[in-house]
Amino acid sequence: MTSLMPYGPLLERLLAGQFVCAESDEEGFRQLQDDSLRDSINDYLRPLNRRLASNPDASVWFLAWQELTAEAREQLSSQLAQTWNSLLPLLEWMQLVQEALGRDAVLTAGDILKPAEFVLRSEDNHSLRERLNRLAADRFFNSQSEDLGNQVKQIFRRLKEQGYLVQPHADRQYYRVTGKIDYLLDLVRFIRDEENLPIEDQPQQQEALL
Amino acid sequence: MAEDFNSSLLRTGAERLALLGKHAQALMQGYIGEQVDESAFSDAALKKLLAARILWRPDEDSGLKLSHRVRDLIAEMLSDARRRHVNADVAETLELLRNLVMTWREAQQRGDYLLAEQQQVRLTQEVDDLNSRFADAIDSLWQRLNSDFGFVSSLNDKIRENERAQKQISRLLDGLDLIDFDELITLVGGSGPLRKLLVSQLQNQVSAHYSNLREVQSRLLQLMARFRQQQSRNLLVNGMVGFLREHPRFRPGNYAQRTEVPTLFNQAAGLVPAAAAALDRDRDADLLAELLQHLPRRDLQAENLLVAAPAQWSAEAASVAARQQQLKEDVEAYYLQVVDAGQPLSALDYLQSSGLAWDAEIWLFQVIAEYQGLPARQQQQFRIWQDESPTSPWNQVRLIHDVQLQLAPVAQVAS
Repeated sequence: MTSLMPYGPLLERLLAGQFVCAESDEEGFRQLQDDSLRDSINDYLRPLNRRLASNPDASVWFLAWQELTAEAREQLSSQLAQTWNSLLPLLEWMQLVQEALGRDAVLTAGDILKPAEFVLRSEDNHSLRERLNRLAADRFFNSQSEDLGNQVKQIFRRLKEQGYLVQPHADRQYYRVTGKIDYLLDLVRFIRDEENLPIEDQPQQQEALL
Repeated sequence: MAEDFNSSLLRTGAERLALLGKHAQALMQGYIGEQVDESAFSDAALKKLLAARILWRPDEDSGLKLSHRVRDLIAEMLSDARRRHVNADVAETLELLRNLVMTWREAQQRGDYLLAEQQQVRLTQEVDDLNSRFADAIDSLWQRLNSDFGFVSSLNDKIRENERAQKQISRLLDGLDLIDFDELITLVGGSGPLRKLLVSQLQNQVSAHYSNLREVQSRLLQLMARFRQQQSRNLLVNGMVGFLREHPRFRPGNYAQRTEVPTLFNQAAGLVPAAAAALDRDRDADLLAELLQHLPRRDLQAENLLVAAPAQWSAEAASVAARQQQLKEDVEAYYLQVVDAGQPLSALDYLQSSGLAWDAEIWLFQVIAEYQGLPARQQQQFRIWQDESPTSPWNQVRLIHDVQLQLAPVAQVAS
């Protein structure tokens, strides 16, 4: 049985409902690679009706309910509804970043984002500006401002709040994408499979060139 | 004779190499564009460039083109990943090596040592060329790998470029496989220098090329896996956005109500760990006192008080106030009883005997508060004893178990 004394900060973060990944908490994530520590944490969490859980790749860890009581199910239902409502704005934001910054891949854990760069690219691009405007006003991001800078600021603030971004230095305007983005895509993949949605994630059979 | 041939070769070669430098600008334009601008050269220069096969003309009507050798040379010099070619043709070189060894052997047998020596130099050059081709190819592969195929812009192009690089590696490996060292050992026979060149030296070089190619191959496969993953994520995000826009009313099932809730959706509600200042440990007292001192002062302005005054009375607040008033009246009745009794009267005994429903703690608190709220003169008319004890042998906080109240004798009041 591993003593949990050195793991206070990690436990507190997990109990508060945060996702622990290599980007959001490198130290904690490294600690969680230890099977015996995970067992000890699970023992500790049992009276609180919680247990450690991860996404399929084990790139993010979070707390799940141990017993699915009626209250737990109630909470999960409303959480599911919230997740569902945030899905489209989050995915649209990912597309927007990819286009605005001219990247060839959607955001992935560890990517660095600078709000200023985002503003710069959208400023003179009418179509980007318009999409950003619409996105910022979405209930999820909920920006009331007409100003591009404020809209971007609000979007980043919300994403940080929701654990998709971390700001390594409070006084420096750059953010790092966390593993929660992987979790989001895992959710999308799950919903697609579960609901049999007609969404391909493998390219069509390679065109028969030559 | 051979001397003459070599010196004329040297002279012509140097002249033609100089052509490259002399017309560098125009030739580079030809490297970048589709063809070379003919007007950039004089007739004489054009003739020389064509004779040197630096430029060529596919047919009468078409423009001037850079020859593919020169294009390759420039691409190599620039490490231009888009244009570099990988030459994996080993069979041809092996054929040439065999012939050179044969000629060398015949010359040796005839005693023509000059020719034999020339053949040996050519053999060395061919082996060097072979090595240089592999080294260049491997360098070009690493360059492309290390730049993440940054010379093409789209993910699909990167995937195609990666596939092309992998095919080049297969061809290079196939080429290396053609080198049969048993055959080379037999071929060189007892000649020490040739054995060194074509067996021991070449073997080392080939094995270095092998391990380099294997390494770059495994790295390319890893990179390909990442590209494929990115591609799959791109498709997933774009596909889901497209679907949700087309079907705004679509809702997934409520996974939370299933017998088995999928792990991904089983995310427990957050707990907020809270703690409050506690005075039950002496060692914390100093720290808490210090914190208390540093609390910002509350300066209530008169106008703030005015604003705060008209509080909203909810039904709940009204009922609390009514209970508080009732408690105060009951305690006053107890005080009157004490005055009547003329002897110490336990507050808890009174509470019990009068059948009041107040919680003992609240009752005692109110009795003491009432006493402390009396004007000093009236306080002197009562004696109060608090029946108290420490919480525990180690804890000096005192608990009050009961209160005795008595009307003070007149004499004492006077004193």
